[in-house]
Amino acid sequence: MSTLEVNKITPVSGGTTVQVGESGDTINIPAGATIANAGTSTGFGITAANFRPNVNPLIINGDMAMAQRNTSVTGITDDGYKLCDRWYEYLSSLGTYTFAQEAQTSGNAFDNGFRTAFRIDCTTADASPSASDEFWWGMKFEGQDLQLIKKGTSNAQKLTLAFWVKSNKTGVGQVNFRDTDNSRMCSGTYTISVANTWEHKIINIAADTTGAFTNDNAESLQIQWYLDSGSNYEGGATPTAWEADSAGDRNASGNLNIGDNTANDWSITGIQLEVGEYTSSTIPPFQHESFGDNLFRCQRYYFRTPVLQNQVFATGFSSNSTTGRGLFENYQVMRSAPSISKSSGTDFAVHQAASSTQTTGLDFYYMTNKTSLWYATVSSGLTEGNGALLIDDGGANAYIEGSAEL
Amino acid sequence: MINTVKKLNVDGVFSNTYVLTLENGNTLYVPLDEANTDYQNILQWVADGNTIQEAD
Repeated sequence: MSTLEVNKITPVSGGTTVQVGESGDTINIPAGATIANAGTSTGFGITAANFRPNVNPLIINGDMAMAQRNTSVTGITDDGYKLCDRWYEYLSSLGTYTFAQEAQTSGNAFDNGFRTAFRIDCTTADASPSASDEFWWGMKFEGQDLQLIKKGTSNAQKLTLAFWVKSNKTGVGQVNFRDTDNSRMCSGTYTISVANTWEHKIINIAADTTGAFTNDNAESLQIQWYLDSGSNYEGGATPTAWEADSAGDRNASGNLNIGDNTANDWSITGIQLEVGEYTSSTIPPFQHESFGDNLFRCQRYYFRTPVLQNQVFATGFSSNSTTGRGLFENYQVMRSAPSISKSSGTDFAVHQAASSTQTTGLDFYYMTNKTSLWYATVSSGLTEGNGALLIDDGGANAYIEGSAEL
Repeated sequence: MINTVKKLNVDGVFSNTYVLTLENGNTLYVPLDEANTDYQNILQWVADGNTIQEAD
């Protein structure tokens, strides 16, 4: 290899372009070399349009790694947040299901870095749902987290949804973006081509210059994967442009009918929502978060304390011989003041000095998005004015959970 | 589905908290916060003709 040693290469007189190599050539930059930019040069192949406008993923827990509530739930017949954090399901009289956080050990999703998936198994079928029955799975978003989409303005952005999906059934599934501030919707479809095989799907969502998302901590958007439905949600047309919400369009194209047989299952993971229009070849990589970062974001909406023998939950004091009270701190600042629930009121104890006294009752009150107060009763034995701890009574059954879900 | 809703008093004063029992037996302490969806459900439950119980 010959070496050309010069300090400057310039175009021939009258020209403005210097070419290096030919089409198809590879131009190698050695390891350790630096390409310097004086600060104003452009055209390095990376422009502002290639960068996401969001720092963190718009989807929380898209890899299904976080499951504070449960990793498996059987006998599901109603709606709620049951399994992986942030993921909600609406189910109305359309079969019975088992949900599981399914470990991945092989397959296309595993090979692309996903170790967990949300799996839905039908355990009691309903092959003839009533007209108003429906089953969808998805996520709800705060309006203040969606302002970057610029919905309802002349600069409204297109969106791209990408995900890995697998089912025993082949067919078409419909996904709806429902603007709950302005009762509007826009949808797309995906096709499961090969049964029992992870497939990567892309859905493009149009920009909407009508109806801005309210800039607050309330729900503004739902993304719904329709899994089954009665006739009220069929018969229309899948809207690929934003339109006024129409029940008959919500599952107009979907034919997966996951509830029609107990052999059916549907799994999903690797969900990402990007601002902009992308294809399967241009979609940016999934933004993998650390376990800690993912947990932090999930706990804005829900936390559950670990179950550990003699665990300390909170500090406080005794206001008389039968009452302990104090401050309980949420794990994170939450979306709103949370609803608090707990294991049995007798799973706890008030610890004072060197002894613990089992509680006969435990209440929570004056909840804010940061703290709440606890009020425990015992049969006797506390010393008024002394410090106290709220702890597990030794049975390793006590837990406290808070929910500020949308 | 909501079964009952009762105000929670502490030291004889309403604590801005409702004790909500669900038909599945679960109990929630629900804050008086309009952004809380359980509180929104209580408001709807009342609008549907149900009554919040006074504290014990």
